Amino acid sequence: MELRINGVTREVDAEPDTPLLWVLRDNLGMTGTKYGCGVAQCGACSVLLDGVVTRSCVTPIDGLAGHEITTIEAIEADPVGARVVAAWVEHQAPQCGYCQSGQVMAATSLLKQNAHPTDDEIGAAMVNLCRCGTYNAIKAAMRDLVGVAKTADADRGAVLATSAVMLGAAGAVLAATRGEGSEAADV
Amino acid sequence: MEGRKYKRLSIALGVAASAIIVGAVGCWAVATRTPASPFDGAGEPVVTPALVQHGAYVARAADCVACHSLPNGPAFAGGLKMPTPLGAIYATNITPDPKTGIGAYTLAEFDRALRHGVARDGHRLYPAMPYPSYARMTDGDVRALYVYFKQGVKPVAQANHQSDIPWPLNMRWPLAIWNVLFGGPGEPRPDLAGDPLWSRGAYLVQGPGHCGACHTPRGLAMNEKGLDERSRSYLAGAEIDGWYAPSLRGDHNLGLARWSEDDIAGFLKNGRNGHGVVFGSMTDVVNNSTQFLTEQDAQAIARYLKSLPGDAGRDGAPWRYEVVAFDGPAGDTPGARTYQAKCAFCHGLDGKGQAPWMSPLAGTASSMSRNPASTINITLNGSGRVVAGGVPDAYHMPAFRAQLSDREMAEVISFVRTSWGNQGGEVSAKAVATARAETRPASSVPALLPTQ
Amino acid sequence: MSEAPIQDLAELQLDERPVNLSRRGFLLRSVGAGAGALVLGVGLNAGSARAQAAKTFAPGTRVPAFLEIRADNTVRLQSPFVEGGQGVFTAMAQIVGEELDIDPSAFVVENAPTGPDYLVVNGVMRITGGSMSVRTSYETMRRLGALARHMLLQAAAPRLGAPVEALSTEPGRVVHKASGRSLSYGELAPHALDLPVPDPTTVSLKSPSQFRWIGKGVARLDVRDKSTGKAVYAIDERVEGMLHAAVQHAPRLGLTVGAVGNEDQVKAMRGVHSIHRLPGAVAVVAERWWDARRAAEALEVDWREPGSDSTLRYMPADFSTEAFAKSLAASQIKVDEAEVKGDVGAAFQAAKTTIEATYHSQFVNHGQLEPPSALAWFHDGLLELWFPNQAPDMFLADVAKRTGLPPEKIKIHSPILGGFFGRHFLYESANPYPQAIELAKATGRPIKLIWSREEEFHRDVLRPMAAVQFRAGLDAEGLPTVVEAISATEGPTEGIAGKRQGLDPTALEGLTNKSYAIANRRIGQRYVKGPAMLGYWRSVGNSMNDFFYECFLDEIADAGKQDPFELRLALLKDNPRLITLLKAAAELSGGWKRGPYKAPDGSRRARGLGMASPFGTETAAIAEVSVEDGRVRVHEVWQAIDPGSIVNPAIIEAQVNSAVALGLSQVLMEEAVYENGLRTSRNYDLYPILPPEQMPRVHVKIIESGAKMGGIGEPGLPAVPPAVANAVSHLTRQRVRSMPLSRLTFKA
Ligand code: FES
Ligand code: FES
Repeated sequence: MELRINGVTREVDAEPDTPLLWVLRDNLGMTGTKYGCGVAQCGACSVLLDGVVTRSCVTPIDGLAGHEITTIEAIEADPVGARVVAAWVEHQAPQCGYCQSGQVMAATSLLKQNAHPTDDEIGAAMVNLCRCGTYNAIKAAMRDLVGVAKTADADRGAVLATSAVMLGAAGAVLAATRGEGSEAADV
Repeated sequence: MEGRKYKRLSIALGVAASAIIVGAVGCWAVATRTPASPFDGAGEPVVTPALVQHGAYVARAADCVACHSLPNGPAFAGGLKMPTPLGAIYATNITPDPKTGIGAYTLAEFDRALRHGVARDGHRLYPAMPYPSYARMTDGDVRALYVYFKQGVKPVAQANHQSDIPWPLNMRWPLAIWNVLFGGPGEPRPDLAGDPLWSRGAYLVQGPGHCGACHTPRGLAMNEKGLDERSRSYLAGAEIDGWYAPSLRGDHNLGLARWSEDDIAGFLKNGRNGHGVVFGSMTDVVNNSTQFLTEQDAQAIARYLKSLPGDAGRDGAPWRYEVVAFDGPAGDTPGARTYQAKCAFCHGLDGKGQAPWMSPLAGTASSMSRNPASTINITLNGSGRVVAGGVPDAYHMPAFRAQLSDREMAEVISFVRTSWGNQGGEVSAKAVATARAETRPASSVPALLPTQ
Repeated sequence: MSEAPIQDLAELQLDERPVNLSRRGFLLRSVGAGAGALVLGVGLNAGSARAQAAKTFAPGTRVPAFLEIRADNTVRLQSPFVEGGQGVFTAMAQIVGEELDIDPSAFVVENAPTGPDYLVVNGVMRITGGSMSVRTSYETMRRLGALARHMLLQAAAPRLGAPVEALSTEPGRVVHKASGRSLSYGELAPHALDLPVPDPTTVSLKSPSQFRWIGKGVARLDVRDKSTGKAVYAIDERVEGMLHAAVQHAPRLGLTVGAVGNEDQVKAMRGVHSIHRLPGAVAVVAERWWDARRAAEALEVDWREPGSDSTLRYMPADFSTEAFAKSLAASQIKVDEAEVKGDVGAAFQAAKTTIEATYHSQFVNHGQLEPPSALAWFHDGLLELWFPNQAPDMFLADVAKRTGLPPEKIKIHSPILGGFFGRHFLYESANPYPQAIELAKATGRPIKLIWSREEEFHRDVLRPMAAVQFRAGLDAEGLPTVVEAISATEGPTEGIAGKRQGLDPTALEGLTNKSYAIANRRIGQRYVKGPAMLGYWRSVGNSMNDFFYECFLDEIADAGKQDPFELRLALLKDNPRLITLLKAAAELSGGWKRGPYKAPDGSRRARGLGMASPFGTETAAIAEVSVEDGRVRVHEVWQAIDPGSIVNPAIIEAQVNSAVALGLSQVLMEEAVYENGLRTSRNYDLYPILPPEQMPRVHVKIIESGAKMGGIGEPGLPAVPPAVANAVSHLTRQRVRSMPLSRLTFKA
């Protein structure tokens, strides 16, 4: 059957019940989309289907004709996706990185539908698992993306201060104005 | 395995209790009478490979493995534990081992056990064994089944497990009284409609298929309220062992009105169709029984079921799909949020699922029924694997019991049961807590019960 | 698709994945060059490496084995440590870049191949684990950078017409200040490679006050690739002609393969290439993994009990974790003492009050998000392997032993890890590469084997269960004078070995050598060998033992009517480093307050405290909790961490976040349960791990006390579970003595 992936039509030979995930990874060699659980529990396999985040491990290709699939490989071609990636880099979100393709897709989907989600809406949409515990960095990146003014503590979720910085009031002020803990450590 | 089924536990209990009451005023003579068999005095049947094969097919249609095989045990050696509040009872060894199985049974004795619930030594079987249904099986099928169990099944020496029910509740003779009252006609019913397909379907459904055991509501004595189409309660839907077995009649919401004959036949063969995917204890039935039916028999069952009229009074206003706007207030409830985070990836924001691979939730019987047992159970415990044509399903429902609290689970289930036109209504956290305590997660390991 | 799938892949690589093409090109080149040459395609070339081969080099000193400086002034570094999220590639770039004098952002870091050059863990071995990477190789890797810098200076001297002594460097350039002339490293690299590597003792290192990058929150090198799907993990690797494989393992360890009931039927399934019997497993090889997986699931295998001669660990059909926990608690096996101080018997006699309690830990999985895989390829007399691993040389030895191939015919690639937490060590029965090797041999094709998440949870090694019996005696002031802790458990090290080899320090770490001034103590183990396969889990013994000890210490505090914070201060009063640390944690949280109190949102909350000394680092954590809907909610975690000295505070902050998440996951919800010898959970549905909505805010304070450098990856974990449990015990007045909390019912 034919699938539209990242703006290109691809001919795919697979059973109709094959999950999109494995068509991407094995038939098409697009391994940026990850396998974590196969049962819609982790979100590592997230892609966009007509702009909406979808877990490709539980998406049989059967129903995909005529739909537009976007994978992480093309994320920066999407202006929202490019902003998300930039925020991810800025906030140094990934650790092992294995979940991050999916996290970036989930974030892109949310922001495409709702440019200014509330914290609750972010929480409701950003449900992918991360075993490395990058949740606070992701949250900080999201708040940045929706335009919430950064504060030193608030929802960075982590305050970092080397003892040296904490010693001086000047350091504390700098930390507050610079916002992000890890940058504050640079001063 | 233990989570597999508590099938008929409540039935066994109810029957035992009611039978004791009835038995107290009942008649000893009835209780000790040995029912007659058309095979009395007949010799051993002539065994042919075709007859053994026919018997194997009847065993599939009658789903004998469901109770008499354990997942990792020898075929038909029994042992399945069926807990009842009085104590557990155990399925028996029906391999041809002469000491512990049915090797010593004559055809007539086999027939008495199968169709009348009387064992070789005269003790009465608990109607966990669906002999009121099997009573309708033809002599030919009974003979074939007998030959299959004698010749086509390997003997296994494995002693039967005594029931855990204490004396005097473990007395079996009062069951005979129950039997007289509710045992059903001892004879198969002849063709009724001049449609051989219909008649074949009626036979399969009422007889070997014993569909009513789960799908027909039960009376006070735990008797099925009807045993064939003459009763409006027959196959009208019932709760059994933590699952709601929906109506198999022409009810628009709770039954099969929206299913075509092909849909029904396809469901029996594959465990899925455009309306839904099998789950709960019916998964085992599809895996071990209905998928092995011939195409024609599956069609016959469909023909028969489609002839059973619905009951608008009971069924309520016909379901109509309604759109849920997740970006509006409807989407801003805790239940809707959980739905989006946990359910929508498979079942869709539109509740329509990805048929036939993943079930819709919009308009399905379990979402429409006031009885929430199935919705709660599958959300807590997930579904077992459908193994059709030897291949395990590509997708199955995960279990959410470890992730959602009773309250969260009640919220999301209530959301499902009140969205997209569903009329099932809300469920309480307490109902979830009760079900949580009483049920176990389904296994994610695909397994068929052994038949050889 | 009309073409064969493999052609499809090749085409795709040419058309759309230039990155991959070059990567593949590199692989092919490296294959051709053989294992000895350590092909770096380098500025510092293989020829000179060979020329120097006669001389023996101490690990971490042969510059060409590590560094390639390219014309564009980028630096390729072969890291002896595998990147798995802990940021070690970036740390290595910082450390080497500091002394080489080039910005770490100019680095491209890869996992080094096997070989003696990379045995830089204390100069003798190579593993990525035990939070050892930076602290055991810090000097070596700095010196490596300094040696390379020196070679560049030497190469520059004739070209700048000045003696080496007159030259200096600026990031990426050699400068002759007097003339104002300079040359970039990229320009110099081709000439530097003709020079011999200087004697390591002749170069001097910077003083920390000169550090430009070490100690700074330098940006990680890998975040962009990891945010755009370009990072390649073992599971993503592929080579031409490759087939995919999936396995069905025996439902219980130790069972053997009997008949396969439906072999012909499965063989006829779409895409299936072949079916193979392996020890304790049956594998299906297919054109695509999905086809292999479905076929493997469809196999009806008759699993047999092992023969009496089986040496495999055996999981009996009646094993249950519930019964095992009880039997641990009731164990009468003799106690092996690990630490005895003072006169325990007399101290109990003299004690005013005695308390005792039994604590439990559960089996837990690693749950790294990348399921294990292995790609095995026999070609040209070589065996090439790609699989996640934390110690390539150990795996090389194992592969050599298994295959009978000489080590130089085996090439191990160590891709970046999609999380590890101790998962990717050499564990008998828990790694897919032996199976992949068998399958590649049997089929004559390259095989990529992936374990499904279900097979992974089934075969992963587990963090041990333990039951610890505590006793303590308190004096009239309510201060503890004696503590006894006897743990009935099997340590991970002896678990992996399968036998007792004297005391296993990983069984009791966190119970032994506590800094608290309690004069009399007796710490011991009852060695109870169980049927489950065990392994190292982030922070190893500390992951459970600090939970036990620190929770019991709160019990002691309560029994002695002491505040737990004050009690710890009292017991640590002669330890300035820990006093500073503890006070720093309290300060970070706005001052110690135990509660319960009402939070602005109306919830009742309390705080708890935990301390730990894992992997050479000191930590103190405070957690704030409430109970909502019967479930524990952790709102805030404050952690002070003193690793002595640091390389990258931003990465430390991230690692503490990560360790907090794993620690919380363990204490709140994780548990691998067995019933009837079978796992009850084989995916994240029934084995939930910490989801985003349960992640608290995490506040980190790093203290550089100047003590010997400690670890970072693991130390952030052990103090967290007890901090949470102590807060919950105090809030609910229900004493928590076991993990996970999701098992318990709370009223508050
Ligand atoms: S792999 Fe699809 S959700 Fe985990
Ligand atoms: S970054 Fe490792 S799983 Fe999320």
